[in-house]
Amino acid sequence: MAEKRERYQNRIELLQGTLDLLVLQTLQWGAQHGYGISVAIRNRSGEILQVDTGSLYPALHRLEKQKWIKSEWRISENKQRAKYYRLTATGKKQLTKERSKWAQLSDAIAGVLNPLEDESEP
Amino acid sequence: MRFRWWGRKRRQELHEELQSHLEMAARARMERGEHENEAARAARREFGNVGLVNEVTQDQWKERWLEDFVEDARYGLRRMRKSPGFTAIAALTLALGIGANTAIFSLVNGILLVSLPYPHPEQLVSVTGAYPKGAFVAMRQQIRTMDVGAYAEGHELNLTGFGEPVRLASTSVSAELFSILGARPDLGRTFYAGEDVPGQGNFVILSHALWEQRFGSDATILGRSIELGGESRQVVGVMPAEFRFPSTKTQVWIPLQNDPRNAVSFWAGDFMPAIGRLRPGSTLGQARTEIRMFQSRVGALFPWPMPASWNANASVVPLQSGMVADVRPRLLILLGAVGLVLLIACSNVANLTLSRAATREKEISIRTALGAARPRITRQLLTESVLQALLGGLLGLGFAREGLVLLKVMLPSDTPRLTEAHIDWRVLLFTGALAILTGVVFGLAPALHSSRAALTEALKSGGRGTAVSVSQRLRSWLAIAQVAFAVLLVIAAGLMIRSFWSLSHVNAGFHPERILTARITPNESFCNDAKRCLTFYRSVLDQVQAFPGTSGAAFVNTLPLGGRVSKRSLVVEDHDLPPGEDSPLFWLNVVTPGYFRVMGIPLLSGRGFTDSDISGAPVAVVTAETARRYWPSQNAVGKHIRLLDDKDWRTVVGVIADVRAYDLQRSAPEWINGTAYVPYNSAATLEDRRIPAEMTLAIRTASDDSQIVTMLRSGVASINREVPVSEVKSMGAVVSEAVSTPASTMTLLVVFAALALVLGTIGIYGVLSFLVSNRTREIGIRLALGAQRTDVLRSVLGEGAKLSLAGILLGLAGAFAVMRVLSGELYGVGAADPLTFCSVAILVAVVALTACYVPARRAMRVDPVVALRYE
Repeated sequence: MAEKRERYQNRIELLQGTLDLLVLQTLQWGAQHGYGISVAIRNRSGEILQVDTGSLYPALHRLEKQKWIKSEWRISENKQRAKYYRLTATGKKQLTKERSKWAQLSDAIAGVLNPLEDESEP
Repeated sequence: MRFRWWGRKRRQELHEELQSHLEMAARARMERGEHENEAARAARREFGNVGLVNEVTQDQWKERWLEDFVEDARYGLRRMRKSPGFTAIAALTLALGIGANTAIFSLVNGILLVSLPYPHPEQLVSVTGAYPKGAFVAMRQQIRTMDVGAYAEGHELNLTGFGEPVRLASTSVSAELFSILGARPDLGRTFYAGEDVPGQGNFVILSHALWEQRFGSDATILGRSIELGGESRQVVGVMPAEFRFPSTKTQVWIPLQNDPRNAVSFWAGDFMPAIGRLRPGSTLGQARTEIRMFQSRVGALFPWPMPASWNANASVVPLQSGMVADVRPRLLILLGAVGLVLLIACSNVANLTLSRAATREKEISIRTALGAARPRITRQLLTESVLQALLGGLLGLGFAREGLVLLKVMLPSDTPRLTEAHIDWRVLLFTGALAILTGVVFGLAPALHSSRAALTEALKSGGRGTAVSVSQRLRSWLAIAQVAFAVLLVIAAGLMIRSFWSLSHVNAGFHPERILTARITPNESFCNDAKRCLTFYRSVLDQVQAFPGTSGAAFVNTLPLGGRVSKRSLVVEDHDLPPGEDSPLFWLNVVTPGYFRVMGIPLLSGRGFTDSDISGAPVAVVTAETARRYWPSQNAVGKHIRLLDDKDWRTVVGVIADVRAYDLQRSAPEWINGTAYVPYNSAATLEDRRIPAEMTLAIRTASDDSQIVTMLRSGVASINREVPVSEVKSMGAVVSEAVSTPASTMTLLVVFAALALVLGTIGIYGVLSFLVSNRTREIGIRLALGAQRTDVLRSVLGEGAKLSLAGILLGLAGAFAVMRVLSGELYGVGAADPLTFCSVAILVAVVALTACYVPARRAMRVDPVVALRYE
């Protein structure tokens, strides 16, 4: 059990920055509940990114604690009670920051992965 | 309550949130056509372990600080384990500083500061000076601002009829003394007013210890009579174990006998200290004024004129300060000394922490670069310092406990209130906090600095930036201060050693080797019949002289250094008294013939006593000092003295060398005008016009003392079964008891000085080691460029010598300024003794340079290749 739990925690660590970005971005389009967020990420990534619930819910609660998102209970379109999360003003700023960091990172990684292009430039 | 409710609600919500996720997932599957049960199962499978998700999500709610602390503590402990040398030195330094201070301060606190264990101790006062019974009775009647009581300590009484006879220490008290103190008995009662007059007070109160040891804690002893000093006294009370007034020695309390009809005893007997309890509304100042006015009247009450100087400075002081006035300066000196040790310990910790901190600057810079927040780093360093301090504090507590036990053993047992001292937690906390604060302040230095300094700067310079030179300067100053403090303490210890040495090598005027002494003391009433008394002592002496292994024995009423003085007023030939002046007061030693030979007291002129002097013409022997004083340019032999009220003049037949009888520094107290010896016969009367009834036997032995003691006890018992043999000890023991106070002061100061020296050495060593490891590269370059290894050695040693010399000079200057406080404790050596100052300077220099040599050698052995590749 303890071992398993540690594995979960490790996964949070690995995904942390990225998952936060994905969650914030998903909420950019409107308030959503946990299940909705996981479905949205899966669909938008063309079924590639399977968000683990053991990562998603801790991330949601962590982001809420950081006051980047806010939660409230609502009745869903299927007449079901669910906890909805929405982006706060600081969350929006954070999203902008995370996006530019992500851009930098992917540029940097791209630079590493394609060294030839780099070298061809004077 | 609210928190738990809040927590439950949160958990409930999380549960609902996850359930709704499952339901939505299942519904989505059902919409895609899956069967209800199948869909639910699949949704659950896809979700994973619900309990686990629940748990890891809840983890996010927790605050991080506790985990951070545990993490810091773990990291700190790992660091401590990794550098056991540093940890051990720092912990030991702290522990010694905290331990020594706590022990000494607990003692000072227990003796000087903690209130007396009586109700409303602030009302209790002590009247300075001493009063005979008559003056005390007058004081009791006349004084309005307080209730007064008096006590006479130091009496002894034989307890007979209860197994072997024993000698008990008794204190005679005025009837109200116990109620003035507010002391209640464990059993029975204390004395009632009016019981301190003859015929009314045949009572006795027992100390708890005596009641336990001698009467087996038997409560039925109350109301029974015991035979005390030849009189029957009814036991009326037992005091609690904590009651120790006036000192721990007292075993029985009996009422004073205030008898105006016996003018000699009433006006000239014991001169007693008096205490008082301020009455409601009275102040210390009022009591003082009243006592001064009383003092101006009381002289007229005496049946004879009293000198105006008697009790002229009478005053009233708080009882507490009155009781401990004698030990106060000594305790304050020790407190000062141990305070210096604490200072040294603290600067040592500061030094150690600083040097380690400097080496960590790089690590911290890297961690900052990797994104560690500044408060986080600060907290981690703080945690480490606190851990270190806790370790030192715990060790220190152990040292303090052991130290206090040791102190109590080492200090003379008659130190007032000694048994009341115990570990004081406030002191422990104070010293601990001080040490921790030192560690924390200096431990934080690198964190504060590295956050200020440019990151890249620190990384580039690899820990040799500006901060290092600042801390190096600070460290040098700390090392100088440590050496200076150490010099102060070592000088203090050196002076005490010198003083003690001269005290123990003083020519005491007698040879204490192979002398066994014992008090043989019949009841005072036994000697009402002088002849019976003399016969008894005569037969004891005859028996002892026949013991195998003895080469002589004699009786004396006051043994040198035995703590007793026997006074006698007398008339000296050629010295007529000017009118209005008192007859000189002599210390009159009453001895049996052979005493000078047994004690090894040299005869300077004339002769000693012989058996024929017992019944022959009245004779006396005087000491050289007395002879010089009264017959400066003449031979004292052949002169005459006469005991006051005697008819017959005594012829001085001999002059003996001066004997250090009062203490090792003085032959007599300053109120004594001369010292004379007379043979023990019915004419040898003391101030109470009775012959002495308490004699001490001195035996010169050649064989085993214990055998002689056994023979002595049975011998005395065979002559009179009611006479106790007490205080059996060698003359050597008597002498060492006389120096026990300076001996204990000296030992403590030596211990502190050694501590200071060790800590100071560690300090210098630390500074230089750090210097060398910092300059490894530079030294490597120099060596590579052709510098001689001896140059390197000289350069490092020079650095150390500079620090040591500065410290020594500062210390010497300081010592010159403050050693005066010691002068009261010194004998035969000045407070600015040049020999001590010089030798201490040399000693500290040698020790310090030795400490420098180790790092200097390391510097010399630096391998240029390794040094340049270093980093």
